[in-house]
Amino acid sequence: MNNKIFTPLVLILVSCLFCGLALSQTGTKKKRPLPYEYGRVVIDNYSQKADLAPVVFEHWIHRSMFTCRVCHVDIGFAMKAGGTDIKAADNAHGYYCGTCHNGKMVVDGKTVFPACSRKVNLEDEKRCERCHSYGLKVASDFDFFQFSQPLPKERFGNGLDWEKSEQLGLIKPASFLPGVSAPRNSLAVQKDFALNPKVEGMPDIIFSHKKHTVWNGCELCHPDIFMGVKRGAVKYTMVDISEGRSCGACHTTVAFPLTDCQRCHSKPVQP
Amino acid sequence: MVLKAKFKATTVAVLLSMGLALYSVRAIGGPSASAAQADAAQESWQKEFDSICAQTEDAMTFSQAELTDLIRRCDNLQPRIEKLDESRKKVHLERLRKCRGLYAYVLDAKRLDSKAKEKK
Repeated sequence: MNNKIFTPLVLILVSCLFCGLALSQTGTKKKRPLPYEYGRVVIDNYSQKADLAPVVFEHWIHRSMFTCRVCHVDIGFAMKAGGTDIKAADNAHGYYCGTCHNGKMVVDGKTVFPACSRKVNLEDEKRCERCHSYGLKVASDFDFFQFSQPLPKERFGNGLDWEKSEQLGLIKPASFLPGVSAPRNSLAVQKDFALNPKVEGMPDIIFSHKKHTVWNGCELCHPDIFMGVKRGAVKYTMVDISEGRSCGACHTTVAFPLTDCQRCHSKPVQP
Repeated sequence: MVLKAKFKATTVAVLLSMGLALYSVRAIGGPSASAAQADAAQESWQKEFDSICAQTEDAMTFSQAELTDLIRRCDNLQPRIEKLDESRKKVHLERLRKCRGLYAYVLDAKRLDSKAKEKK
């Protein structure tokens, strides 16, 4: 073979090999979502099969009105995107999205638009696109920047301090849906406890049951997310958490992200 | 003779119309009665479901016997929910699974606690 062709070919092949090795070791960098994108879920169990765009669900709109428990326990949404087998018929029968999106419920003086109907006209197309909007340019009734303006700020995630927002009465997430939620007594608050990290010098994690049970109740976390019965028996690692297990079930997707270290590692280190 | 025949005919006619009336009442009342039964059955599983899952907040305060009873009630309710239509079945089976899971979790924790106390 001619040397003029052979040498550059070998060089290209070798550089491709090195690039491949470098990428396989470090992976590709994940794009950090913008504040209004954080918590966004794209649902496509059946949409594209039905010639519709996948559904784009914005957590920030819904979590300002309802606690996690209302949707993930009482209505029955799974904790993982695509984990709930939502069908148009379920919505039309008043389940899942259709629990609230029924054309009857009124929130802040507005009637909530109905989700999937049994019969769809051409006029309904715009209504379908309010949820089935992935890849489409659809104007929303809700503007994140307008919504977030009066709320206390945080550094990561949606850039908002949701807990403080509720304490200040700026948001009032409902924890009970009449006709859907089982009537419950108020929860006896469990004590906070400390978890010692493996890394020396890393501040202890103070886990607040109170903060978590206000929005989640008990059955959202136990036993599906935290199955260990005896404290300390299950070892949690940051690798597991960043892969979406234990705390990562919420704190990589919707609740403040793992980059906000000191919100969990909050106990001052003793000198 | 004529009077007797007239009396017989009237009696037969009255009896026939009474029979017809009774039959029609049954025919009309039948389906609505079964609908009412179905409604009552639905109401009864829903009541039981609400009664079981309304107690999740109190799980930590229950004794082992009470938790075992709640788990048993969950297991008894499951086949009734499995008979519902697809949407209701899907939603309520998942909700029931969560309630049962919590009671079983707390029961395990309590059993461990009492074992630890016995050892001491």
